[in-house]
Amino acid sequence: MCRKILAMTMAAGLLLLAGCGDSEKVIGGDVVNVTTGSRYEESAGAQEGTTAQTSQTETAASRGYVLTVNNVTVEVDAEAAPIVEALGEPVSYFEAASCAFEGLDKIYTYNSFEIDTYPSQDRDLVSAVILKDDSIATAEGVCIGDSLEKLQEVYGEATLENGMLIYAKDGMKLCFIMQDDSVISIEYRSTAL
Amino acid sequence: MKKIWKFMGTAVIVLASLYLLQRLLMPKYAADVVEGALIAEYYEEEKDHDVIFIGDCEVYENFSPVVLWRDYGINSYIRGSAQQLIWQSYYLLEDTLRYEKPQAVIFNVLAMQYNEPQREAYNRMTLEGMRWSRSKADAIRASMTQEEHFLDYVFPLLRYHSRWSELGAEDVRYMFSSPKVSHNGYYMRVDVKPAENVPEGRILADYRFGENAWAYMDRITALCRENDIRLILVKAPSLYPYWYDQWEEQIQDYAAENDLLYINFLELAEETGLDFTTDTYDAGLHLNLSGAEKITGYLGEVLRQEAGLPDRRGEEHLARVWDGKMEAYEQEKERQYREAQAAIY
Repeated sequence: MCRKILAMTMAAGLLLLAGCGDSEKVIGGDVVNVTTGSRYEESAGAQEGTTAQTSQTETAASRGYVLTVNNVTVEVDAEAAPIVEALGEPVSYFEAASCAFEGLDKIYTYNSFEIDTYPSQDRDLVSAVILKDDSIATAEGVCIGDSLEKLQEVYGEATLENGMLIYAKDGMKLCFIMQDDSVISIEYRSTAL
Repeated sequence: MKKIWKFMGTAVIVLASLYLLQRLLMPKYAADVVEGALIAEYYEEEKDHDVIFIGDCEVYENFSPVVLWRDYGINSYIRGSAQQLIWQSYYLLEDTLRYEKPQAVIFNVLAMQYNEPQREAYNRMTLEGMRWSRSKADAIRASMTQEEHFLDYVFPLLRYHSRWSELGAEDVRYMFSSPKVSHNGYYMRVDVKPAENVPEGRILADYRFGENAWAYMDRITALCRENDIRLILVKAPSLYPYWYDQWEEQIQDYAAENDLLYINFLELAEETGLDFTTDTYDAGLHLNLSGAEKITGYLGEVLRQEAGLPDRRGEEHLARVWDGKMEAYEQEKERQYREAQAAIY
């Protein structure tokens, strides 16, 4: 009887050690809270493990809303390095280390917009794109200062979330903040974080 | 009778084995991510503090209890942790009151921006270090994200069993005890990285702090009042994340309504002598030792004058304890300066 109990316990221990599956977020000794992977990486992974490259000129029919600046496609959850290189020198650059964990969030500020990145494995991915003034518009033609009416004409009915008008597409969100029925903020946001 | 003893013996062996396995597999927070060790270190202290700090990294990286003792004879401890959420601060305060009753509690208000649970990894760094009590159980329930389970906190082995493939020498060495990583809860950094290009805050759709955050702010205030503790609100001088004027206004109003002292160190750079080219180690997010000592010096004067905290440097036993702590502090400071110099060359 004792042996049976011991054997069952050891078997249970082995099962525990075997783990629960690949999708589990592991908090390791260094407590790196690995993200579940971006929408972009997940779709890339589905293509037999090939690493998808950011296409600088490809339109984003199936990859959410994207911003195009000087023929450079800026896409949320895409690898940031080629985008930043293609855009040229930013007006300013800032790094923000998170509390306790390794890895840096990076902020590239350009004249009319800002690109934020987050670390994912050994790359930086775009976490957000923020339009800062009315000199730049979304690919669909909406810019800061436009009316709610125009926004709805272009994008249709939005979802209201935390006071923002949200248009979700392919795992990302295009977010508008309104004031007196005018657009005062436009952000492209990752949902991976 | 013999069978009962055999069964009990077997059960003891099984439980002991599982316990040892759990000790082995849990993160030790002794090497890279040392911040996870901060909460637990409090329990090894003599519980006789005049001031307890609660809050996130803006308290444990920006205030030095050694300065409060050395210059004012104030005995303090920082019960801070990475991204400590306000409900965690409340339950940590409740936990602290099981052991002692300080004269003052200092709470950093940045955490008011979070109204819901955030990340499991940060939760665990705060909660796993707490000793089991009703406060810990309540803190866990208030903190869990949707993917988390209470049982995983009761039996961490359920959560960390996958770490077997990452085990290192440190996991064995520190199975039952870890080296101290803080100085009365203060995490020291002496390196310098000047602040520059700090971005402005994004426009927010709603600048109001959430109801849940306010509820816990009220509970902290009430708990202090019930225990005759002076609650002091602070905003540490961290340049990022951005502290909005609209947030500042809400805290000022709350402090006024509840007759609380509120100190925003972001507005006291001149008075404290803070220089963000020399007093920060990460471009303005947190202060280094130089910066922390400057603002703590200012805070000490406030605590003496406004809170009337006594100078206890004449207490023999406490002075002896602090002599040891200050020695360790100076040794750590020298070690870090040496390493910083070596890195330059």
